This record gives sequence, C-alpha cells and structure tokens, in this order.
Amino acid sequence: MDFTQLFPSASSAAMLGWLVLILAPRRPIVMQSLRLGLIGLLSLTYAVLIFVYFFRVEGGGFGSLAEVRTLFLNDGVLVAGWIHYLAFDLFVGTWIALEADRLGWNRVVQAPILVVTFMFGPIGLLLFFIMRASQSALTTAKA
Amino acid sequence: MTMIFDQTTPLAGLSPASLLRAASAERLLLLALGFQIALAVPSLIAFGIDDRLLNGISVWIKPLKFQLSLVVMMATLLWLLPLIDARTLASRGIWLAAFTAAATAIGEIAYITLQAARGRASHFNNSTPIEATMYGIMGIGAALLVLSALVIGIYLLTRPSPFAPTGLRLGGGWGLILGAILTLITAFALGSGQIGGPGHWVGGVRTDVGGLPLFGWSQTGGDLRVPHFFATHIMQALPILGFVLDRYLPGQVRIGIAAGVLASFAVVTATFVQAVRAMPFL
Repeated sequence: MDFTQLFPSASSAAMLGWLVLILAPRRPIVMQSLRLGLIGLLSLTYAVLIFVYFFRVEGGGFGSLAEVRTLFLNDGVLVAGWIHYLAFDLFVGTWIALEADRLGWNRVVQAPILVVTFMFGPIGLLLFFIMRASQSALTTAKA
Repeated sequence: MTMIFDQTTPLAGLSPASLLRAASAERLLLLALGFQIALAVPSLIAFGIDDRLLNGISVWIKPLKFQLSLVVMMATLLWLLPLIDARTLASRGIWLAAFTAAATAIGEIAYITLQAARGRASHFNNSTPIEATMYGIMGIGAALLVLSALVIGIYLLTRPSPFAPTGLRLGGGWGLILGAILTLITAFALGSGQIGGPGHWVGGVRTDVGGLPLFGWSQTGGDLRVPHFFATHIMQALPILGFVLDRYLPGQVRIGIAAGVLASFAVVTATFVQAVRAMPFL
C-alpha cells in the first residue's frame, strides 16, 4: 500500500470539501454530497485502513500514551488517524454551517469559524458554541 | 414498513402498541441486513489489499462469506414476514423472534469481522481463553439465530395471512423449518469435532487452498461445510420454489413443495454422508 499517495489524495479531497462548504450555496444536494459522498468516502478509507493495519501493530492500543505512540509509528495507522481528523472535522464543519444558517448568521461571519474548524477542529467548535451562547444570552436579555 | 402496511390485510382493531411492534420487528431485520452490508463494503476492499492469510487463504474470505450469507438470511425473513397474519405479526412472539435474529446476526458478524482484522480465526479457535469463550458464545448465538428462523417458519404455517400465496407460504414455512433443523444438525456435527477431528475437514489436506472456487470446500477430502451450506440455504430454495410454483404451476403447488422438501432433505443427507466418508463434494 502506497501511503505517500493516499495521504495527499485524502488531504486534497478534504480541502476541496472545505472550499465547497465555505463558498458554495448551501443546497441540500451540496450538503448531502459532502456528508454522504466525501465524508462517507473518507470514512470508508479509514475503515479499510483500520481493518487492515490497526491490529498488526505489536504493543499498540489506546490504553497508554506509549501504546498510542506505538500505533502511530505504523504508517497505515498514522494515515488512518489523519483521515479520522479529516472526516470528523469536515462533518463538524457541515453541522456548524447548517446551525449557523438556521441562526441566520452571515456567511462572511461563518467563514473564519469554518477555517478554524478546518485547521484546528475543536477550537472552531468552541468558537461556535461560545458565539451561539453569547448571542442567545444577549437576545434573551434584550427581550 | 411498506411491506407490512401496503397489504390489504385489515389492521383495524389492533392496538397502536402492537402495530408499532410489527413495524419494529421489520425494522430490526432491515437494520441487521444493513449492518451486514456496512461491514461487507470495507471488508471487500480490505480483501483486495490485505496480504494476511489464515490457513493459506485471505483473512477476509470468512467475514465476506458470512456477511453475504446473513444478508441473504435477513432478506429471506423480511420477504416472508408479511405473509404472516397481521394480528400475529403484531404479537410479542414475532417481535422476539425478529429481535433475536437481528441481534445474533449483528453480534456474530461483528466478532467474525473483528477477528479477521486481528488476523485471527473466529471459529475453532481455542488458543486463548477469550477466543475459546467467544467461539462458544458464537455457537449459542448461531443456534438462537437459526431457532428464530424456525419460529418464524412455524408462525408462517400456523398463522398465515389470508392473502398469502399458497406456494410462497408453504415453501417459506417449510423452508425455514426444515432449513433450521438441518442447519442445527449439520452445525452440531461440524462443531462437535467428533467427525474427522476438530474442524470441518474429514480426511484430505486440511486447508482451503485449492478448494472449490468461491466456497473453498476441500477437493481432497470430505468437508462438513457442504451439507451445512445446503441445509442453511433450504431457507431460500423452498420459498423460491414456492414463488415459482405460484406463478407457473398454481395447480401443483402442494405436490411441488412436497417434492422440494424431499429433494432438499436428500441433498443434505447425501452431501453429509459424502463428507463423513471423506469424499470431496466435486
């Protein structure tokens, strides 16, 4: 298995997905192709990599930092772990986008949150949570 | 859902709870079928790139065979379920049978696929205490799965929908009952290790390498998987026979099903005797 090929292909596919999410109109078909198509494909790739490589790593596991480090010394599992980020971050991105649309947030405001989610997943999610909470607190206070 | 409610069966007089139960029985089987496909897709790709072997063949052959087989089994139950009387379909008995079938089918395939990913055997594996225990649990699960088909078969014969076509009903009912009984018998013979030692081989070279294409059955000696396969798939053969009879020979349905039952029994017996005598199927 040539992981030096798989890694950039998966990353480029995810990058394309983020561009679509940030720039394209939020038609149901667009969101569904991101979720079922692209994220589905990344998830399938992840599943195959785990099926084939995860259990081969001697001394690997989730039980201690040393075990996790051992896991990621294996290229198959390392690429799988990367694709895990790509798939889940993008899914969280589609969720944030749909929620933000529902709240009526301008797409220009959404863009930086989505970019941060793309780069540093949980920070983008945290931004979204705090912004949504402060909005709801302030609107309730005003009303 | 449509399979149940599109029928002209009168559903009036059934409580909402029992209607919900009928829909839930069907949904359980559908989910179990989907679970098989969901694991089969990555398993098939893994088969293409994984170089690990078990007994000389890819570790992914076994999960793929079981995933396919369980898709067929869940589909059969889904096909036959609506032929049962609506009131019975909404009963706890049917729900329990469907729940048992779905839960055991999901459990079996989850473990078989996990063991393949680990590069280890799921069946006949007593090398660690956990694996030995899991092999035992799988045996119980498989027996419960087959028994749930048997129960559905009995319901189909004793409580049919008035709108069920005779051939499909009889073929389905007898197919599930005979298939379940013969599956249990052959599985017991296969798992007991009393015939030709532990494993499904009887004499010959104990490997799937060079076995019958697709099936992997031994071509050098007997293989108890042959009668087990035919026994299990009586559950499909007889309903299909019934379906065909309904369509093309509606006057000969009963005699046709009777002939099918005898033929199925004969095939399983013949292949069983053949395997016990250490003779290859082909």
